[in-house]
Amino acid sequence: MTKKPCLACKLFVGTSGYSYGEWIDSGFYPSGTHSSDMLDFYTRIFHATELNYTWYQMPKAPAIERMCTKVPKNFKFAAKLTRTMTHEIKKGQWTKQVMLFRQGIEPLIQSQKLLCILIQLPPYFERSINFRNYLAALLDELAGLPVAVEFRHDSWANDKVFSELERRKVTLVSVDEPDLPSLFPPLDVVTNPDLFYVRFHGRNSKGWRSGNMQKQFDYDYAQRELEKWAATIKTTMMAQAAAGGIFFNNHVRGQAPKNALRLIDLLLKDYHLQKT
Amino acid sequence: MSRSIIHLNIADFAVAVESNIQPSLKGYPLVIAPLGAPRAVVYDMSDEAYKEGIRKGMALARAKRINKKIKILPPSFNRYERVMKDLLKQTFAFTPLIESGTSDGHIFLDVTGSGRLFGPSVDVAFKLKKAFKKTFNFDPIWSVATNKLVAKVATRVVKPVGEYIVAPGDEKAFLAPLPLNLIPGLIKKDLTKFFEFNLFFISQARVLTLEQLKIPFHFRAPLIYDWIRGIDPTPVTTLCENLSIISFDHEFSDDTNTADLLKRALYLMVEKTCKTLRNRRLTGGVTKIILSYSDGLQTTSRLKLVPPTSNDMAMFKKCIPLLNKAWTRRVRIRHMRLTCEKLCQGAIQADLFSTGTKETKQGELILAMDKINEKFGKNSIKAGLTIKVKNEG
Repeated sequence: MTKKPCLACKLFVGTSGYSYGEWIDSGFYPSGTHSSDMLDFYTRIFHATELNYTWYQMPKAPAIERMCTKVPKNFKFAAKLTRTMTHEIKKGQWTKQVMLFRQGIEPLIQSQKLLCILIQLPPYFERSINFRNYLAALLDELAGLPVAVEFRHDSWANDKVFSELERRKVTLVSVDEPDLPSLFPPLDVVTNPDLFYVRFHGRNSKGWRSGNMQKQFDYDYAQRELEKWAATIKTTMMAQAAAGGIFFNNHVRGQAPKNALRLIDLLLKDYHLQKT
Repeated sequence: MSRSIIHLNIADFAVAVESNIQPSLKGYPLVIAPLGAPRAVVYDMSDEAYKEGIRKGMALARAKRINKKIKILPPSFNRYERVMKDLLKQTFAFTPLIESGTSDGHIFLDVTGSGRLFGPSVDVAFKLKKAFKKTFNFDPIWSVATNKLVAKVATRVVKPVGEYIVAPGDEKAFLAPLPLNLIPGLIKKDLTKFFEFNLFFISQARVLTLEQLKIPFHFRAPLIYDWIRGIDPTPVTTLCENLSIISFDHEFSDDTNTADLLKRALYLMVEKTCKTLRNRRLTGGVTKIILSYSDGLQTTSRLKLVPPTSNDMAMFKKCIPLLNKAWTRRVRIRHMRLTCEKLCQGAIQADLFSTGTKETKQGELILAMDKINEKFGKNSIKAGLTIKVKNEG
C-alpha cells in the first residue's frame, strides 16, 4: 500500500543559485534582464534558493541583510557552508570559521528566511575515524541551527550514520547524481522530521569529473525521471517531514529552472487531486 | 546584463616573488629597495615589515632605523615582469579580455562572455586562485564585481588575504561604509580636499551633488561623482591590443642619473628595436619611454614617429628629447623601457630617383652593419655610443 503525501508538508522547490547569465539566453529571464534584477524575477517564480556563493566566501551580515530585504516574506534560503569548513579545513581554525559563519547568516535567522545550512562534503571525505570525528564536532558547533548534510562518498550510506543524524535531527540530503563508483547513491531516507532535502545534480557521467562545471552539471531530466522522483517525494518523503527543500543544480543552459518547474507541476497535480 | 569582472591581486608582489625564490625569507620583515643608491627608498615590503611601520616610498635609511635587522633585497624588475607574464598565460585560458600592470601583481579579467564555457565568474576566480597557488605558490586575493573599480576596492578591503564577491546591484551599499582612500583614482590632492570638508567616508562624500563637487574638483568632479557611487564603465583593456608592440628593457646594475649611461642604454634598446623591426620588414609609428625610479615610481613619455622608421639613428634622434621629457625627477633611475607601437609595413619599393639624403645614407650604413654582424658575429661592429669607456659604471 502506498502512503499518502502529507498535506501539511511545506515544499520549497528552487534552484542552486539564481544569477546565471545564460538563463537569459535560455529564456528563463526576459531578454535584457540586469544581473541585479535576477533575484526579484526569480522570487516571482520560486520560493527558495540555495546560496552558492557562501561556499566561496564567508557570508557577511550586511550583504545578507540587504538580500533579505529584496525577497518576499516567505522566501527561504539554504546557505551553503563555506569551504573553510568542508573542503579546506584547517585544524585549530575551523571553529572560528563556524563562529564567523553564524554571524554572517544571522540576518537570515532573524528574518526567518533560513531554510537550512547545507554542508556539502567533498568526494574524498570518506567515513574514516578522523572525518567522523570532524563531522561530529562540526555538527556540535552548529547545534541549534537547521542543518542538512550532503555526502559525496558512498561509505556514508550506512544505517548507523542515518540513525546518528536522526538522533541529532540533522537532515540527510538525498542526491540525484550520476551512477558512478564511490558516489553517494540516491536514497529516500528522511532523518529529520522537520525537513527533508533533495538535490538534483544531473546525471552527466561523462562530465562529472571533468573539472568544468559547465560539463558536470549539463543535464536535462527526462519526464519519467522526474515522475519517479515526484512519486518518491510524495509517497515517502513528504509523509515523514514537516517541510522539504528540493533544489536543481543542473544550471547549464537554464535546465535547472525548467526541470524545477516541471517537478512542481508533477507535485501539484496529485496535490490538487487529493485536495478535491 | 551587467559585466563580470574578476580582480586578482598578489599582495606585495615583489616580496612574494623574492620569497618564492628564497623561502627562508617568508615570515620575516623584508624590504625591496636598491642597495647601492644613496637616498634610496622602499619599493615594496612584506606584511611583517608593514606591521612594523615601514611603507612604500619611505627612505631606506628610515626603514633601517625602524628595524635594524630588516632584510633588504634589490628590486629585479625584469624578474617580476617575467613572473607576471607567466601568470597571464594561465588567465588567458579563461578569457582574452585581460588587463594587467607590467609587474605589480594586479590582473583584471572580464569573464562576462565566457560563462557558458567555464561557468560562473566566482568559480573561474576560485579556479585561478588555486592554479596560482599550485603552479606559482602565490596566494592571490580575488574579488568578483560588475566593474574594475568595485573589484579593486573589494580586494583592498580584504588585503592581505581573502576574497570578496560583490553582488550585482550591491555596489553602492558595499562602498558606503568604506573610507575614501580605498577608491582607486582618488589622488592625495583629492583626499586632502575631502578631508578639509571633514568628509572621510564614501557615504559622507555622496551627500554632495555634482554641482557641489565641481567647486573643489572642477573637471574631475563627474568622475569622482561616479566613483563614489561604484560606477566605472571603463573596459578591461585586452591583451590583443598589446600584441603589436616591440618592447626592450634595461636594468641598471646601480641606480643612476648619469645622462651618458642613460643615452647609451637607450641607444642599445633602439638598436634592438630597429633590428627587430627590420627583420619583420616593419616600421614603428610610435615610441614610448618608461623610466622606473629607485622609489618605484614611473614616468612615461610618448612620441609619434613621422614618418614611421626602422632606422636606428633616426629613431634615436627622436628618442633623445623623449628621454628628457620622461626624465622629470631627481631620483635615480633603476630601469628603463623602450616600446615601439603602431607597427606598419615599411616601404617595399625604393625611390626611383634616390636623392642621397642623410637618412638614406644612414640607412645604407645600418644595412651594411647588419650584414657585417651577420657574417662575423654579433657585435663585430657597433656604434661608438655603445662602447663602454674605462672606469665608467
